[in-house]
Amino acid sequence: MSLPDLILLVALPLLSLTMMLAFVRLVRGPSLPDRVIALDLIGTLGMGMIALYAIARNQPALLDVAIVLALLSFLGTIAFARYLERRV
Amino acid sequence: MRELVSAILILIGTVFMSLSGLGILRMPDLYTRMSATTKVATLGVGSVLLAVAVYFGELGVATRALATVAFVLLTAPVAAHMIGRASYFVGVPLWEQTAIDELRGHYDLRTHELESVCFPELELRLPGMQVGRFRIPEQSAVAGKTLAEIELRQRYSVTLLAVCRGSHLLSNPDGDVRLFPGDELILIGPPERLEEVSEAFRRSGDEQTPAG
Repeated sequence: MSLPDLILLVALPLLSLTMMLAFVRLVRGPSLPDRVIALDLIGTLGMGMIALYAIARNQPALLDVAIVLALLSFLGTIAFARYLERRV
Repeated sequence: MRELVSAILILIGTVFMSLSGLGILRMPDLYTRMSATTKVATLGVGSVLLAVAVYFGELGVATRALATVAFVLLTAPVAAHMIGRASYFVGVPLWEQTAIDELRGHYDLRTHELESVCFPELELRLPGMQVGRFRIPEQSAVAGKTLAEIELRQRYSVTLLAVCRGSHLLSNPDGDVRLFPGDELILIGPPERLEEVSEAFRRSGDEQTPAG
């Protein structure tokens, strides 16, 4: 099994399934922080998937997208945390 | 060779990231779920990015990949700490089987500051005085009595600042407040008198309490 096959047939389907599990938590909650960490996890998983896709398609430029996603996911979580703490 | 190493790293990363999804779904409360998203997912994504660095083998790509790993390793704990702190203030409940909540009663809910930080300052301003926290044990002689019956000030010359019960803080409690096992008392007074109080609290209900 070549490396692109391993990624496209094993790794990405597994991560998609994991993303669905995180999405279940995002919908079910029960509290707002639960949803925030589910979003955070979806961002992290997205980073991993993009990095894997960069290998599978032999496109190192895709790594930049992963970097931007990491930045945005961090800023989003910080913003949510500030908002939660201000609200009390 | 490079392909083999990156394949192994990819497998490790994928397994850990999948486990994080399982963790966020199955863990019993927010704080344990957070450990799944921060630790496990960070390890997984770090491993995958390492695989990218190994697979392409170019300096530019490897630098970007490793910089991303460093960024994720730095930001994930910060974000998790902020979310955990905010949820504690919002009052997200802990798992009912949690053994110890070390923050309980220590946070000032108005200023969002840790209260224990204030004690040394208070002691500095009042030389010879000490602030102590005492928990009422299960079989304590004072459990079930009101503050007026215990006569803390008259018997031990200490002042009661507040009673912590669960997540509530009763500040400046009056004489009608009844103490229960598990309550935490914040007292100020000379150190040796605080010792006496702590002994009196530990004494069980069957023994004779010393008359003032």
